[in-house]
Amino acid sequence: MNAWVGTILRVDLAAKTIKKEPLNSKDAHAYVGARGLGTKYFCDEVDPKVEPLSPENKLIYTTGPLTGTAASSAGRFEVVAKAPLTGTIGAANSGGYFGPELKYAGYDGIIFENASESPVYLYINDDKVEIRDASSIWGKTVFETTDLLNRDCGESFKISCIGPPGENGCFFSGIMNDKHRAAGRGGLGAVMGSKKLKAVAVRGTGSITVARPEKFLDALTDARKKLKAHPVGGAGLAALGTQVLVNIINESGGLPTRNWRDGAYFPEADATGGEALADKYLVKNKGCFGCSIDCARVTRVPDGPFKSSGEGPEYEAGWSYGADCGVSDLAAICKANFLCNEYGMDPITLGATIACAMELSEMGVIPEEEIGFPLRFGDAHAIVSLTEATGKNEGFGQILALGSYRLAEKYGHPELSMSVKKQEMPAYDGRALQGMALEYATSNRGGCHVRGYLTSPEILGVPLKVDPLVTEGKAGLLKLFQDLTALIDSSGLCLFTTFGLGLPEIAAQYREAVGTDETDEEILLKGERVWNLEKHFNIAAGVEKDTLPPRLLREKLPGGPAAGKVAELYAMLGEYYQLRGWDPEGIPTHEKKSELGIAYA
Amino acid sequence: MKVKFFATYRGLTGCSETDVPAPSDVWALLTYVADRYGEAMRAKLFTPDGKDIGADAIVLVNGRNIQYLKGKETALSETDVVSLFPMVAGG
Repeated sequence: MNAWVGTILRVDLAAKTIKKEPLNSKDAHAYVGARGLGTKYFCDEVDPKVEPLSPENKLIYTTGPLTGTAASSAGRFEVVAKAPLTGTIGAANSGGYFGPELKYAGYDGIIFENASESPVYLYINDDKVEIRDASSIWGKTVFETTDLLNRDCGESFKISCIGPPGENGCFFSGIMNDKHRAAGRGGLGAVMGSKKLKAVAVRGTGSITVARPEKFLDALTDARKKLKAHPVGGAGLAALGTQVLVNIINESGGLPTRNWRDGAYFPEADATGGEALADKYLVKNKGCFGCSIDCARVTRVPDGPFKSSGEGPEYEAGWSYGADCGVSDLAAICKANFLCNEYGMDPITLGATIACAMELSEMGVIPEEEIGFPLRFGDAHAIVSLTEATGKNEGFGQILALGSYRLAEKYGHPELSMSVKKQEMPAYDGRALQGMALEYATSNRGGCHVRGYLTSPEILGVPLKVDPLVTEGKAGLLKLFQDLTALIDSSGLCLFTTFGLGLPEIAAQYREAVGTDETDEEILLKGERVWNLEKHFNIAAGVEKDTLPPRLLREKLPGGPAAGKVAELYAMLGEYYQLRGWDPEGIPTHEKKSELGIAYA
Repeated sequence: MKVKFFATYRGLTGCSETDVPAPSDVWALLTYVADRYGEAMRAKLFTPDGKDIGADAIVLVNGRNIQYLKGKETALSETDVVSLFPMVAGG
């Protein structure tokens, strides 16, 4: 099979068996790969009502057809399971080098079934695959685990693993690879931990064959040229990273401040932005496998109470610990983010959960003795100490490990969790960016920005300019962005390739790699198929309806260009369902499912 | 009025913001900025023929993109804040 290596590993962690199965080529064709293919395998094999932390939940790693090829920024892979945080389909995408290495070892994916009684890790060295004892690394952080496995297996092995929060069932624990890259959202680390699976260590020496090498080379050369020439995909992200967004989103009046309570303008934002990060703490930038964008930040706080080093923060983490917590100390934000990587936690959810706790604490609903100190917005030391406590599952960190919805519910105010389907929304206020409001409400994995990033046209003007304050036209644009994003995630390409590439360039690389003559539109339809299957799963799982926190629907923004605005979700939602071919309740119709070939579901 | 510079524009202007007497409109302000900070900044703010605002320049007046106001003819007053960005992105 061109672009694939043709084998899926099926690992039963209870029976301690490993089977090598042929890749389901029919599904690979229909669902592209990675996010789509993993979701297809999952939906075929797992009851949607499964308890996320039970042995019956499966954990599926999948690569895409372009993963590990010479295509532009093709280092991505996906992890799929039912997500503990949301109860939705959980699909989390990561970069780095792990995904390509898995393919070079000869495997397009791994399906983990059941649970081991004692800690284990999966060792993959080309054809040699073993379930090995992990007792000595259970309890270790992500960095410690990675170093120990590299010592024992070899420096060339790529490591995907969890830290203690994943072992302890933290609802937003991530699965980390290459130390700093994360399949971060939804709590898939806890699924891995519930299976007593500490890590996957992989080394591969094989290669990938594409269908039409010369045309593939033409397509990827064209794509790389366009990426390099684009002001964002070329020099922009390399220079200032994603944190550069802090100022433009803030100046546009869309940066949610203090748990979204105080509007969407943070006066101290500039001290936390990408410019300040570059001036004060940036050591160098770096990229993932085969990437020319090189957006990642290697950073170091050289001295002071938050002396530390690591990677990031990315924009959303910089916001959650910054404006959302009312903190302007960039050193503290960096350290909190580094700790999230070290322990393996989603910094968007944890920062936003601390922000929620700050509001509840200021209201007096969380007793001070439960936290251990008077928690207030703006407390730089608190974001670090509470992140560490959550990583170690100590004190109030045990409550924060629930995420903001369960935390706010515990103290009688679930409406103050700024989440959708129990997952925290990131750093763009839907009252100032109406398209993002619709995106949050309809995202198949709860509050999320990478399921159809309308910030790009609404604020950045990429690839077209649309007014963030209007609702007209947003439903159709979002559907297109969601379907295209599903396609890109499924292909193995990085979503950032859209800062330079569009459907024609992405489809061309896919076409020549796998050897298909499908049109751009037929290829995009695969993204729509993935989106509908995810939605179908969520409905079968009983996930709550598409809506937003009351604060976005009722509390008007106090200032800025969107002053007086709320999120006008219901001006867009009906049209969105109609354009999707769903019924007025947002359920895919039989006709739509038939059209997409998922009527079996 | 206040003019704020962000991202790579800070390296070209050497500052993060400046106060200037309010010109009549955005076009006049950008011309003033280009005259003050030099050709590299002019190349960012204007198209090569100098007849329009550069495609990669983002101009906000009080947080609103001039695309949704009156473009380069958007009128300015002493209390306005203009924010200038190159095309940036992330997420």
